[in-house]
Amino acid sequence: MKSFLFNMGYFAKEMMRIIRLNLLSNIFSVMSTGMILFLLGIVITGTDIGNRLVVMLNEESEVNGYFSQDTTEEERNALVNRIGRLDGVRSSRLVAEDEAKARMEDILGDEAKILELFDKNPFEAFVEIRIEVNAMDSIIDEVRKTDGIEYVRDNREVLEKIQDITYALKIIGYLMIVAVGVTTLIILSHMIRQGIYNNKDQINTLRLLGSPGAFIGFPYILTGVILTLIGGIIAALFMVILINKAYDGVASTILFISLPARGDIINKIIYGLPSLSLVLGFFGSLFGLSSIKEKS
Amino acid sequence: MILLRDVSLIYPDKTQALIDVNLNIKPGELVYVTGPSGSGKTSLLKLLMGIEYPSTGILTVLGRPIKSNNGRNIRKIRRNIGPVFQEFKLIKGRTALENVMMGMRFLGISPKNMKVQAIEALERVGLSHKILSRVENLSWGESQRVAIARAVARKPALILADEPTGNLDYDNAINILKLFRSFLDDKTAIIITTHATHLILEEQNASFISVDKGKITMERRGIRS
Repeated sequence: MKSFLFNMGYFAKEMMRIIRLNLLSNIFSVMSTGMILFLLGIVITGTDIGNRLVVMLNEESEVNGYFSQDTTEEERNALVNRIGRLDGVRSSRLVAEDEAKARMEDILGDEAKILELFDKNPFEAFVEIRIEVNAMDSIIDEVRKTDGIEYVRDNREVLEKIQDITYALKIIGYLMIVAVGVTTLIILSHMIRQGIYNNKDQINTLRLLGSPGAFIGFPYILTGVILTLIGGIIAALFMVILINKAYDGVASTILFISLPARGDIINKIIYGLPSLSLVLGFFGSLFGLSSIKEKS
Repeated sequence: MILLRDVSLIYPDKTQALIDVNLNIKPGELVYVTGPSGSGKTSLLKLLMGIEYPSTGILTVLGRPIKSNNGRNIRKIRRNIGPVFQEFKLIKGRTALENVMMGMRFLGISPKNMKVQAIEALERVGLSHKILSRVENLSWGESQRVAIARAVARKPALILADEPTGNLDYDNAINILKLFRSFLDDKTAIIITTHATHLILEEQNASFISVDKGKITMERRGIRS
């Protein structure tokens, strides 16, 4: 430990020397690492926004329960309360005939004039039931069995698609993280091996003089960590630019998607990518260093 | 300090480098190992440095056994040895001072003391004017002196020098041997391999070991032993 503390300046100089020894190759490695981390940043941000979208869509997941139009106001309210108490139901409320018509007018917009052709309001009152999408099947069964409910309209196909999208987004996110992690480790370990190969005479001499492996290896770990950190910082900067451009240009045109706050995402990227690059740099360097075998 | 009991060294290609060698070297002893090329001198030094392991027999250096699968022990032994390799093994792109300090960095010496010790060692070998010269710009003889400075700056218990007079003319060879002798004290043993027996015949205090075909053929112990 004492030797390590005494030699911090030496390690820093060695690191600079190792970087300079293969400057061009190391610059390319930093750029590759930066690009990969940039891709990872996009995936993480995309997954984050996607997850938020899925949560939002989940919250919007609903089925509609229709009852006999002869049902009294009191009975309707009792029905709404009964359904509201079922497991997996977020909320239930009565949508009266007039509200149902108003909603359709909103949807139709200019075409809503067509509804004027009807003498009477053609829409029926119903119970709007917001549900947990995961418990969809059991809730629909329970609602069907509820006294007073004649017919249940579910968006099963849409809801199932939401579930599939959620699952796919998660899987793609994890796969990308693993792929990017492995790629970064390979690039780094290759970079470290190259450094070791270029310094093999020095390493051999240090071993013959009794140097511990950790002393020999530390400058290489430092090199890997610093170069990956630079890659991570570059990736974070590009991500910040990209996020700002995206929010300025796109966010106003897709009002129906509630995007996470810009500051939150930028903070995640600014702290997340460099931290991740530190971890990847450390393990990549260790992996590359494992190629130093005791020969003498 | 160094004890060899029936030590043999057989290389993987079945070459018998050393056969049943018995030796006991004490602190403060100066030992010349002589013999023709290929006699086993360098193999003996390789054993003492833990570069090779005995195929049979027992070998202890500085109180620690040298055997395979004992890397930690061997590193500790090497830290107490000042080796002067035949090909010097200096690190290119560094100054003489950096090379000497390189051998001391992992010994727990403070940076200030390390520099002082390294400069002292370079001064002792007559290179005070070349401290900041890069080793690739030094002459053969100067490089050898840097290698010697690196070995002695560590204040080792054992100095091992492999053919240090190999490529030198008579005067320079005598000077190098004198330089090695100047590092001898009660705690430090020095082992020098050489095939130039004419250079050391007049040494009175030293021990001589002749090796031929892997066997010790003659052993004469000096006054200090």
